[in-house]
Amino acid sequence: MKFVCMKCESFMSFENVQVPGEQSLGVTFGCPTCGAKVAMVTNPGETAMVNALGVKIGGRTTPAAPMELTRESLKEGTAAALPPASEQQAMLAKEMETPSAGKCPFSSMIAQMQTGATAAEGSALTWTEAATERLEKVPSFMRPMIQMGVENYARKNSIATVTPEVMDQSKNDPGDLSWSQEAERRLDNIPSFIRPMAKKEIERIAKERGMTQISEALMEESKSKFIGMGY
Amino acid sequence: MAPEKDLKSILKKIQFTDDAQVMKQIVDQSLQVKTRMGRIRRKLVVMSGKGGVGKSMTTANLSLALARAGHRVGVLDVDLNGPCIPKMLGMNDGAFQFTTEGALPPIGPHGMKIASMAFFLRPDAPLQWKGPMELSPVWLGLQEMSVIREFLADVAWGELDYLVVDLPPGAAADKPPVIAGYIPELDGGVVVTTPSEVAKQVVKKSVVYARDVGIRLLGLVENMSGVLCARCGAPTPLFDGGCEDLCAALDLPLLGKIPFSQEMSRACDAGRPLAPDHLIAKRFDAIADRVQKCLALDSVVV
Repeated sequence: MKFVCMKCESFMSFENVQVPGEQSLGVTFGCPTCGAKVAMVTNPGETAMVNALGVKIGGRTTPAAPMELTRESLKEGTAAALPPASEQQAMLAKEMETPSAGKCPFSSMIAQMQTGATAAEGSALTWTEAATERLEKVPSFMRPMIQMGVENYARKNSIATVTPEVMDQSKNDPGDLSWSQEAERRLDNIPSFIRPMAKKEIERIAKERGMTQISEALMEESKSKFIGMGY
Repeated sequence: MAPEKDLKSILKKIQFTDDAQVMKQIVDQSLQVKTRMGRIRRKLVVMSGKGGVGKSMTTANLSLALARAGHRVGVLDVDLNGPCIPKMLGMNDGAFQFTTEGALPPIGPHGMKIASMAFFLRPDAPLQWKGPMELSPVWLGLQEMSVIREFLADVAWGELDYLVVDLPPGAAADKPPVIAGYIPELDGGVVVTTPSEVAKQVVKKSVVYARDVGIRLLGLVENMSGVLCARCGAPTPLFDGGCEDLCAALDLPLLGKIPFSQEMSRACDAGRPLAPDHLIAKRFDAIADRVQKCLALDSVVV
């Protein structure tokens, strides 16, 4: 697939790839002549279709691991125990060895995230076997991003060992999100038995949109999801 | 206002470079299948348009018969949603070893190499893929094709005399062409049915379809061809008639008849192959012999 800058009559170049939401990929291309940018965003069905092809967008830089697609595509909770973590990590490390050499946007992104995180943070964390096993169930192209998120959470909270519980906590961590007074008041109106779920969902929406504060307007907008909850 | 530019004329002017190399990757995948399959002398599929007629039982016992005859045999269970070959062969605890050479399959009875989706799943877990089933399952067929391709390309079978592939039920729609597409030198298919008119009607369609997509069919196995008395071993018919009429209509050799036997069903459930001198094991030896003769016809005739 190629994008063409109609104005300059040239092919656009790949610039970066992001994960704008769950089961979605965003790939940005730019015109080398005029600098115009275009981003392609896949919906979950398209993302699954791309994954199902078993090809790496942008080209492979290293051979695929045996049964890679099968192992990485199984839904969490259905897969039997995977091979030793060390083997898989070695494979991933090998994949990440030459971040600038590959043409694959996804592996480039992963490589940049990996090296960026190492340089910025430095301090080593210990992952328990159970946490490592769980991390390995994440598709390889998203794994470094998830790992970085969990490790950032652990460092922020002075946690030395990453366990599955820490992974759960990091998922629910609001990060730098804050709640306005009015939004908090409305949150209190939601029946207590359902409040944690509603809070989590609203924070998820806010994070997805890159917001730093949850406002009354967002509460109003998200209301349709919680009709009847009384807020 | 400047006239709108014509994309076709723009594309003629600029040079296309294939950075993505998607086609090359797909070609590489096919080449890897070809390389693996090139080390296997005979590739067979066991198929039927109807579910519950005994495809997996036939696959397991035909493979055992070939192995008893001294051949190096691999069994590939591509019934992704209902894999049962490992259980029938006592391989429930089997697992692949992932090496740089590929996925090494576990070794079963008579040294047979076994590969199955069951080795990737927790014992009671159904097969579920990551992906938006609720929004659009259109990617699912592509996913299954790619997984089958991985089984053919990534399992380190080594050198084999026979690879016997157990296809899923209702296979008329997609799996045979997928398999045939990946293994152009597929040696043939073995069709399984019961003598039930209902089963025969469906199986007939799958035979026509398989031939349409270029799969050479070696013959038909009639399963549940009567029932053997658990006490005296005397056969009693289960259905009116057999599959001779179907075979005649389709011009398909009848490879053999397998009666229902309690000992056989117990053996399958327990994952213990029948003793080689058991009546049913002998019937499968005869079927394996006929399969080999059908395959050898090429060298006799040419």
